[in-house]
Amino acid sequence: MQLDVELKKSFKDFTLDVAFSLSSPRTGVFGPSGSGKSTIMNLMSGLELPDSGYIRLGDTVLFDAKRKINVKPDQRNVGVVFQHAHLFPHMSVKRNLFYGYKRVKPENRLIDPEGLFKVLGVTQLLSRDVATLSGGERQRIALARTVLSNPRLILMDEPLSALDEGHKFQIIPYLKKVFNRYGIPMIFISHSVLEMRMMTDEVLVVKQGCIHQHSETEELVRKSWGSGLEGYVNLLNLGGASPDKDLFRYQWGGINFILTEPAEGEENLFELDSRDILLFKRHPEATSARNLLQCTVVDIYGSGNRVRVELACGDEHLIAQIVPESVRELGIEKGAMVVAAIKASAFKKIF
Amino acid sequence: MKKIYKINIFVVFVLLVFSVYAQAGQVRVSVAKSMSNLCDNLIVRFQAQYPDVKIVPNWGASGALAKQIEQGAPADIYVSANPKWMTHLIEKGKIKADTKKIFAHNTLVFVGRSSTDAQSVGDLPRLTRVALGSPGSVPAGQYAKQAMDKEGVYDDMLKNGQLVMAKDVRQALIYADRGETDGAFVYKTDAMLAISAKILFEVPLGSYSRVTYPVAMTKQSDGNADARLFYDYIVSEAAHSEMIRLGFTLPE
Amino acid sequence: MLILSSQDISAIGLSLKVACSATLISTPFGIACGYFLAFGKSRGKAVVEGVISLPLVLPPVVVGYLLLLSFGANGMIGRFLNFFGIQVVFSLTGAVIASAVVGFPLMVRSIRIGMEAVDQSYISVSRTLGAGWWDSFFTIILPLSARAIFAGMSLMFARNLGEFGATVILAGNIPGVTQTIPLAIYEYTSVPGGDRMALILCLVSISLSFAILLVSEGINRKFRRR
Repeated sequence: MQLDVELKKSFKDFTLDVAFSLSSPRTGVFGPSGSGKSTIMNLMSGLELPDSGYIRLGDTVLFDAKRKINVKPDQRNVGVVFQHAHLFPHMSVKRNLFYGYKRVKPENRLIDPEGLFKVLGVTQLLSRDVATLSGGERQRIALARTVLSNPRLILMDEPLSALDEGHKFQIIPYLKKVFNRYGIPMIFISHSVLEMRMMTDEVLVVKQGCIHQHSETEELVRKSWGSGLEGYVNLLNLGGASPDKDLFRYQWGGINFILTEPAEGEENLFELDSRDILLFKRHPEATSARNLLQCTVVDIYGSGNRVRVELACGDEHLIAQIVPESVRELGIEKGAMVVAAIKASAFKKIF
Repeated sequence: MKKIYKINIFVVFVLLVFSVYAQAGQVRVSVAKSMSNLCDNLIVRFQAQYPDVKIVPNWGASGALAKQIEQGAPADIYVSANPKWMTHLIEKGKIKADTKKIFAHNTLVFVGRSSTDAQSVGDLPRLTRVALGSPGSVPAGQYAKQAMDKEGVYDDMLKNGQLVMAKDVRQALIYADRGETDGAFVYKTDAMLAISAKILFEVPLGSYSRVTYPVAMTKQSDGNADARLFYDYIVSEAAHSEMIRLGFTLPE
Repeated sequence: MLILSSQDISAIGLSLKVACSATLISTPFGIACGYFLAFGKSRGKAVVEGVISLPLVLPPVVVGYLLLLSFGANGMIGRFLNFFGIQVVFSLTGAVIASAVVGFPLMVRSIRIGMEAVDQSYISVSRTLGAGWWDSFFTIILPLSARAIFAGMSLMFARNLGEFGATVILAGNIPGVTQTIPLAIYEYTSVPGGDRMALILCLVSISLSFAILLVSEGINRKFRRR
């Protein structure tokens, strides 16, 4: 669905002035605190009024200052999942879930509640009391509640920020399943690069009320060398774990990895810092690294004294980060063959 | 040093406050409300002769005043609109019985605006509302009740919510004068003070006990020479002309 | 003898009638004012708050007198109501109005505080889920401030049971029509020998207040369990 937006709003010490067009069903809005991300969300959902501009979603105009059109938030069909789930405390979980659903005309109720509950794994929570739920459970209920209200677009405003560090990423598979299955366009707002990479294909970078950049998420991350992104982190979807002596074996495409960390599910996301990958011109004789991969160099890009080397290993891609001196010494160039060495302990599980 | 200074000031202050009450030359009179004007005038005349004596009047319904005195309120002279309350206080030992005298008489009338259609007590149930002093504490109300009982209208009117209870005879008068009730039972002397209300009829003399105002000195007044002075003045013939002027009847 | 005369019993009945009527009639207005003061953004808010709080700081007798001037035969509102044959002064209506005016600020205060405590986020959420103004008012704001509304009502009810000053001036002391318990007790205190009856009525008054406190606590606890 096409989303065309132009928004201007002045506050006491801050002015928001943005214009963008989105067509990807999974976009992100990325920026530090105070950059205006939440304001954009409030303006798009109708909870706040812009000073000027327009908002066009598909062929519906939600707001147009010039033509004096302003659709009220309860009419916009733009769902929001907030940082704190805000489940109504005076209602049971079930009543919370059906709050939006009840307000949708029966002929417009396209989503089957039972199915949705299964996807989000909340069926067993229906009889529980709102106050007894964990942070992750609350957010899943909040998402189910929003999805059931039949929105044309869902805005997720830092939905993981309030969850506790150890478990926050566990909710990601659920989110992905929902958006995959029901195809509702989604805008994901966050200050976390990792969350952006996991949930979005396209991203808008916002700084001080203006759009700095608009690009594919991975592109952005690969070519960014700024704060927080000094070392590129590879995200690898590994299959199930099978024990290998006192270590664990995983499948990554056609490649076998040996890791020190066990995992339970069939699909697990691991991060591997590009700086933890050593490159050898030839297969090393004896090394402590348990993982040795034969790769071809696909691309090289650098900034200052850091260089990222994009490697193709079979069908998969990895990025290793080394220094320019090493590039020269090893004669690394596009198409060259190298061996990547990775320690079993270098992989860190996300969920 | 500072603390003692503060305590001294406090003690002096307390003494001053209480000395006001202990002042000699003060006469406290508790008088039936219907006599308030008469009393004011008599006080003025008395003070023309004795400018150093301070008279502090207290008006109210006679029953309410009797209750106050019974409970220890300061009073040197008591004038009631009904002998009942005087007898009550004598029984309670608050009155010097040998000073009891009949002070004056009065008559009961029914006043109201000219738009009210009532010529006798029997006509009253027709009206919407009638004011009278609360019979439990106001003599004018007691006399009114007697008259209404004689005609057999009191109980029904009470049940129908037609009776507005006033805290004294003057309040009953105001209710009728302002038109908030169709009429009120007041004394003839009060009717003369009304602005818009007129006497609609005089209550037949046989239907209620004669309105008698006894006056007496209280046991509290012992030793108060000024109180004696004022008492002697008001029961003397010097007060008669004022009493007649305001519509009261002299004692035999 | 602890026997109450029929006049006393009617006083008790009247007190309950007046307190109930005044409280119930005031509740929707109290909710409306509480809402306006809690969420309203207009500049007139301070004025409204001042006017509503006035009966709280004025002596009840003053309130009663001002009401008498307005609702009396010569007052603006009085003359208007006379058109429809409605008499306020010296009637049960007057007693209810006096109680309602005197108790209103107590109710509004409680309701306002309760509504201010409602997290605005819930309202925002309900909007995104398709609930318009009235919808979210009844499904979110009212239920979440129900406890405060009820507390305001209890407070007003209790205050009404003890209302004297404004009532005696606006509605007068009419047995069977406006003589509520406080007025009856006041009458007894002027009567020599009336102390016993006054005390008995006092006991009744205390018992009533106690009963209301207990009921109010009980319902309050029910709210908490939810």
